[in-house]
Amino acid sequence: MIIKTLIILLEILVSFIFQTTVFSHLKLADVVPDILVIVTASLGYIVGKKTGALTGFLCGLLLDCTYGSLIGLFALIYTTIGYICGFANRIYSEEDYTLPLFLIGAAEFAFSFIYYVLFYLLKGDLDFGHFSMRFLFPRVIYTVMVSIIIFRLLNLNTRLFDKLDLAAKKRKGGTTHEFKGFDAFSRKDF
Amino acid sequence: MGREKKKVNISSKLIFTALAMICVGLIVISYLFPDILSPVRTGVGNFFAPMQQGLTVIGGGISEKLKLFSDKEELIEQNEKLTDEVNNLKIEIQKLGQEKSELNFYRELYEYDSVYQNSQKVAARVIGRDPNGLCTTLTVDKGADDGITVDMNVLAGGGLVGIVTETGKNWAKIRTIISDDSSVSGRFQITSDTCIVKGNTKRMEDGVIDVEMININAEVYDNYEVVTSYISDKYLPGILIGYVSNIRKDPSELNKRAYLTPVVDFEHLEAVLIIKAVREKLEGFDE
Repeated sequence: MIIKTLIILLEILVSFIFQTTVFSHLKLADVVPDILVIVTASLGYIVGKKTGALTGFLCGLLLDCTYGSLIGLFALIYTTIGYICGFANRIYSEEDYTLPLFLIGAAEFAFSFIYYVLFYLLKGDLDFGHFSMRFLFPRVIYTVMVSIIIFRLLNLNTRLFDKLDLAAKKRKGGTTHEFKGFDAFSRKDF
Repeated sequence: MGREKKKVNISSKLIFTALAMICVGLIVISYLFPDILSPVRTGVGNFFAPMQQGLTVIGGGISEKLKLFSDKEELIEQNEKLTDEVNNLKIEIQKLGQEKSELNFYRELYEYDSVYQNSQKVAARVIGRDPNGLCTTLTVDKGADDGITVDMNVLAGGGLVGIVTETGKNWAKIRTIISDDSSVSGRFQITSDTCIVKGNTKRMEDGVIDVEMININAEVYDNYEVVTSYISDKYLPGILIGYVSNIRKDPSELNKRAYLTPVVDFEHLEAVLIIKAVREKLEGFDE
């Protein structure tokens, strides 16, 4: 369980660092892909609602602490995205690559739209057409493209966690003891 | 393992609600008391700065590799153009050299002493950018240890980049002049008319930002230089900001407004100069 948490933490850290460094050099049509939305939505879908919400919370908080003006604003948006994507965990299948891409696209669309409302609309900028053509749609498309690769990597979590579960069961001598999980994470969540 | 058995499974709804409440709490706290959470920000910054430093180098390498794909013919054409330009520039340098000696003479006459030309500068490397790719915030690899403090002016390529808004042990955050929150008091070099240079990320897609509050009677034309003015309380005077274009009347008919092309190429900014001098505060001056 601790190992799983550490793995997820590591994934979040790495994606955050990549988002702010390497990917800002990989601009296409003036937009950068949003790795943090990919990670939040994917983990929500792969692992569950709680992990999704917690991942989103951490990702958002990191963003807020380094680049935001108000701490907690992005955290709130990302937490919601992770939690909502977690509902799709019920129909999770390791082979399905269509639904997660659709989820990530929708999540990015929602994020960009909220971003527009908070940072443009509230400042009196009503030109949504311009915003959507120059920022929103390119960003959604680019993010979905990048997520094809990143989601595949994150999907390896399922195999890894299964192996960890198996190893944990063996250590307990094959009893039918149910692994309830630590703290906030339930068994279903992992 | 008895400890785990006692744990009750917390429902996901509860977790989500708790996290959302924490977020809202944090928003309220950071809105009401912006300074309370700054140690946290500094800590996070200190933690990530070294890792970002390493990866930025890799990122730069990748983008250079990608550039190799660009057309060879394009490069040849560019080379020709550049050779021409170099020749022109050489002639211009000669001209400027003459003019400079003249200028020095006049400066001495006027006892003109620009603050920023005499103060110490620190070179710093850009190690982090705004996650949106809009270049409104930059992180650089020099911080409090190198004597950087908040409100120091930042230059690159002879033009104004922005101002230091936050410093950590070995990093500093810069708000650039193209950021929507930025407004710089400017002055036309030639006519000494004042104006306000306002950042505009949306307009920056076309490479320009806004200039406002130009006197309606000011005789200014396209390509006039705008520098930082003497009346700014944070920016040192006489730093080149950019060149104006598209001068037109304000809808209010009281002022003129224009576009400004910054001299700094924000897209490809890799290193900046931080001036180690802060504009002196006016003592006993209440706003």
